[in-house]
Amino acid sequence: MSVNSKENILVLNSPKNKPKRIPVKCKQTNRFIPVFLIGVVVLSVLSLVYLEIDWIKMFSRIPQIGEVFWDLGHLDFANIDLIFTSLIETISIAVLSLLYSLILGIIFGMFAARNVFNIPFLSVITQSFFTFLRAVPTPVWVLLMLVCLGMGPQAGVAGLCVHTTAFFTKSFAQSFESIPDETIEALEVTGANKLTVFTNAILPAAVSQIVAWAGMRLETNFSECAILGMVGAGGIGFVISNSLQGYDYGTAGVAILLVFIVAYCIERIFVRIKKKFA
Amino acid sequence: MQPILKFNNVSKHYPNGVHALRGVSLDVKQGEFISIIGPSGSGKSTLLRAINRLIPISGGEVLLDGEVISKQRGKSLRRQRRKVGMIFQNYNLVYSLSVVQNVLHGRLGYMSGIKGVFGIYSEEDKQKALDLLKEMGLEQFSYNRASDLSGGQKQRVGIARAIMQEPKLLLCDEPIASLDPSSAKTIMELLHDMTQKRNISCMVNLHQLDVALKYSTRIIGLSKGEVVFDGPPEKLTDEMIEKIYGTSRDNLMIGGNADEKADTADCA
Repeated sequence: MSVNSKENILVLNSPKNKPKRIPVKCKQTNRFIPVFLIGVVVLSVLSLVYLEIDWIKMFSRIPQIGEVFWDLGHLDFANIDLIFTSLIETISIAVLSLLYSLILGIIFGMFAARNVFNIPFLSVITQSFFTFLRAVPTPVWVLLMLVCLGMGPQAGVAGLCVHTTAFFTKSFAQSFESIPDETIEALEVTGANKLTVFTNAILPAAVSQIVAWAGMRLETNFSECAILGMVGAGGIGFVISNSLQGYDYGTAGVAILLVFIVAYCIERIFVRIKKKFA
Repeated sequence: MQPILKFNNVSKHYPNGVHALRGVSLDVKQGEFISIIGPSGSGKSTLLRAINRLIPISGGEVLLDGEVISKQRGKSLRRQRRKVGMIFQNYNLVYSLSVVQNVLHGRLGYMSGIKGVFGIYSEEDKQKALDLLKEMGLEQFSYNRASDLSGGQKQRVGIARAIMQEPKLLLCDEPIASLDPSSAKTIMELLHDMTQKRNISCMVNLHQLDVALKYSTRIIGLSKGEVVFDGPPEKLTDEMIEKIYGTSRDNLMIGGNADEKADTADCA
């Protein structure tokens, strides 16, 4: 090192040579980054080869994209009452599944967090079980619930609940674990039992994080609801897929626009709420 | 008079091979104000935490109020723990809750299942908490969030929470280490007055020798996990201090006139 820097100075000072470029990067670079980038390139090429996408056909259809969106833009308010009732249905499914999952997520999150009961076995079992539930995508759960509970919104609520509860269990457990051990210690020395410590110290300290997670999840649930309608769980998705399949682009356009507006409003509202809690 | 607390030959060694306590034996009587002094790593915190079993001990026994706490578990441990209040260096309040809620946490050990879980306190307890806050000079902050308070105020809430427990013994783990000198003085005076008034024994871990000398009725000096001094502050001679800290008294004062370079490095 020291020898190197001396040489550098010599080179810089000697009038014969042109001044060398001064290095600015760290000497120890992270080797993982180029490996990762090369890996991504290789995988993309392999995927392209495997999928055999017909690029010529795809580019020839590009003008169609414009046409479809042009048609969607010609909003048709003839079926507005149907759109509104199904939109409200979708919102209700999203809100109900969020509420049930919040309660379940707090309970299971309590078991999954390592610092509440201090039983590592219990945490590992709970976390692995919910990791399994989370690995299966929501539409699959909804389809399963459709088989079990029959067509209709109840299947949507149940299917969304499975995935949302699994998501909340993990994120709430993380929030609970981020509460400093000393705070828990302070309540334990008063002679309070573990459940009491949880409800009086850990839960109130985690409320702001729970609200943030809930807001984020309501947004996701709402947009997932739109997909769920297409598999038969009711709601606005059913209207969108039906009208698209029937080339009724005007109605579909109104429905899509409303989905966007509601999702945007949910986001804005929760940004406000989060600011209040922080 | 029966001692509140009794250590019989208590030892503690951690899995990493550190011997935090070696054969510690001592008695604490009602109403004593004891300062525990010693350099970092001498086992002060371990000694305090062994009392309410935040740290399980490896040998000997700890008797609290005539019962062996070092072997108790579950409900009987919780029943013992509520006899011991604790005050922490970092206050350890629940900052998203109100000041009065934090004080009421001191009652949780006395409350039955459901009431404790949902934090439904009796009117009597609530009145007591408010009275205590008034005594602490914090009544105007009763319904503020605990996070809004200053360091000294937070520590006062910590003291109120511990007193709310109606303890027989109060443990203070470096209560003034994160405070400015004037807040530190207020806190030490409050601790002294509150415990003397209620005849509660108090054990304080301290880094500040002058504070220990000023307030305590008894000083325990720890060095490498052993009790090397146990007696009233008057008997704490300069030689004794040197034995506890392994350096002369002058070196313990910042800006002391002794040869600093060699010794301060050792005790830091």
